[in-house]
Amino acid sequence: MTEQVKVDLVLDLKGLLCPMPIVKLSQAIKDLPVGAVIEGIATDPGVMADVPAWAKTSGQELISIEQRDKEYRFLIKKVK
Amino acid sequence: MANNGSVQKALEILEKQLNQPLKTALEVCARCGICAEACHYYVAEPKVEHVPAYRAEQLRKIYRKKHNFFGKYVSWLVDAEELDDEKFNKLVEMAFSECTLCRRCTFNCPLGVDTPLVMRTIRAMATATGKAPEILVMLADSAIAKGENPEIFKEMFLQQISQLEKELQELTGNPEAKIPVEKKGARVLYVGLAGAHTIIPPAIIFNEVGEDWTLSIYEAANYGVFLGDVERAKKIAKRIIDEAKRLKVQEVVVAECGHACAALVWDAPNWFAEKFPFRIRSVVEVVAEYIQKGKLTLDPKANSEPVTYHDSCNLARTGGIFREPRIILKAVVKDFREMNPNGIENYCCGGGGGLVALPEYYEKRMRAGKPKAEQIKRTGAKIVAAACENCKLQLGDLNNYYNLGVEVKGLVDLVANAILYRKKAYASSN
Ligand code: SF4
Ligand code: SF4
Repeated sequence: MTEQVKVDLVLDLKGLLCPMPIVKLSQAIKDLPVGAVIEGIATDPGVMADVPAWAKTSGQELISIEQRDKEYRFLIKKVK
Repeated sequence: MANNGSVQKALEILEKQLNQPLKTALEVCARCGICAEACHYYVAEPKVEHVPAYRAEQLRKIYRKKHNFFGKYVSWLVDAEELDDEKFNKLVEMAFSECTLCRRCTFNCPLGVDTPLVMRTIRAMATATGKAPEILVMLADSAIAKGENPEIFKEMFLQQISQLEKELQELTGNPEAKIPVEKKGARVLYVGLAGAHTIIPPAIIFNEVGEDWTLSIYEAANYGVFLGDVERAKKIAKRIIDEAKRLKVQEVVVAECGHACAALVWDAPNWFAEKFPFRIRSVVEVVAEYIQKGKLTLDPKANSEPVTYHDSCNLARTGGIFREPRIILKAVVKDFREMNPNGIENYCCGGGGGLVALPEYYEKRMRAGKPKAEQIKRTGAKIVAAACENCKLQLGDLNNYYNLGVEVKGLVDLVANAILYRKKAYASSN
């Protein structure tokens, strides 16, 4: 699924701990136009719970979130 | 100047919050200036804006306009002022970026003036009028969303925990080591933070002592507290209180996190006007008790580099938890060096009050952390231990900014390391 979506910004969140991945994601999305897609790559498993909750609260679309080896990758689409 | 909507609303919030402690903080100040040197902002950059009494005075002027007889009619006589948009924006900026709510000024004030309470009130006024930093609001609301819809993350959370359990079994060499989640009737409900580093080390410790424990699906952090927003803070805390009641645990143990401890241990019973059917303690207290009761066999050689300890303001000053960290450190560290001052007199690291989550204030936060960086440098330590997530993030940033050449670790990391070290030594001698 990740491969089919055009990614506008890759956000390297590796090595960051709570709440910094969410802080960086919130900041980054502000500067993008509606419709843009962010791919986040994190190493802290906390994002698996925090990113879906953030998407729900902020009203943005979580396209996918998955683990690949020791990394956690997610795709967020800015919808508003 | 005519008041617009948000100023009006802010003033209403101020009126609502005017209980006796706040009135006292807004009416009492001898202007002696003793608090200046107590504040790490002032120590880092001695200027009048960094004097705690000056900060509180900015709201006192507004308060006097309505609540002081002379303030109402001859404002200039008592330096009373009307609030307007520009002043309100300045108050908000000050309350969120130039006070970490560390309470050191209150402890050093001969009259015990509660300046951080005044700053919290401004934060509440800002939150109610939509002027609080968006990120803090978003972090608080995400936590509330988790409580309202656990299905949005629970399955993924459980998957992650089963992987962490495997990691735990490998680390300890014990295939029976477990991370139980939401186990009914467990003695202890441990509430971590988002992140494996707050789960694995306590899991090593709980398994080592044979504790009957279970992991919460929620995280202990409570950003409602930083917003001065009791309603949000209550909703975040309630997720854990309800979980503990549902599981019928005897004790809730909170991860290494200063504000989370302050919220759950000291604020929550007041917020809910309730005596909970369980005890709530910091993991630091629980681990110190295990050590004192001889439940853990530890080898200080595991942590042989010089270690210093940074007291979190919330744990030490608010909660009086400053002996327990030393009980732990003396058991697991070979060369422990106090920084000075320490304990309840310790300087804030500069990252409290939610500041570490606000990138726009990075430079201010680094400058305010200078006294801490200097304290650390003077100890010559190679490891800085801390028992608060916010402090650890700030100390990590200070380490890079001031080239301190240290490593930042939690107390539970050092304990877990000492357990694993002894296990390895035992395995190789057999
Ligand atoms: S130490 Fe207390 S009384 Fe003195 S100026 Fe500061 S707040 Fe006021
Ligand atoms: S609470 Fe701490 S940061 Fe805030 S004014 Fe007092 S000493 Fe300074």
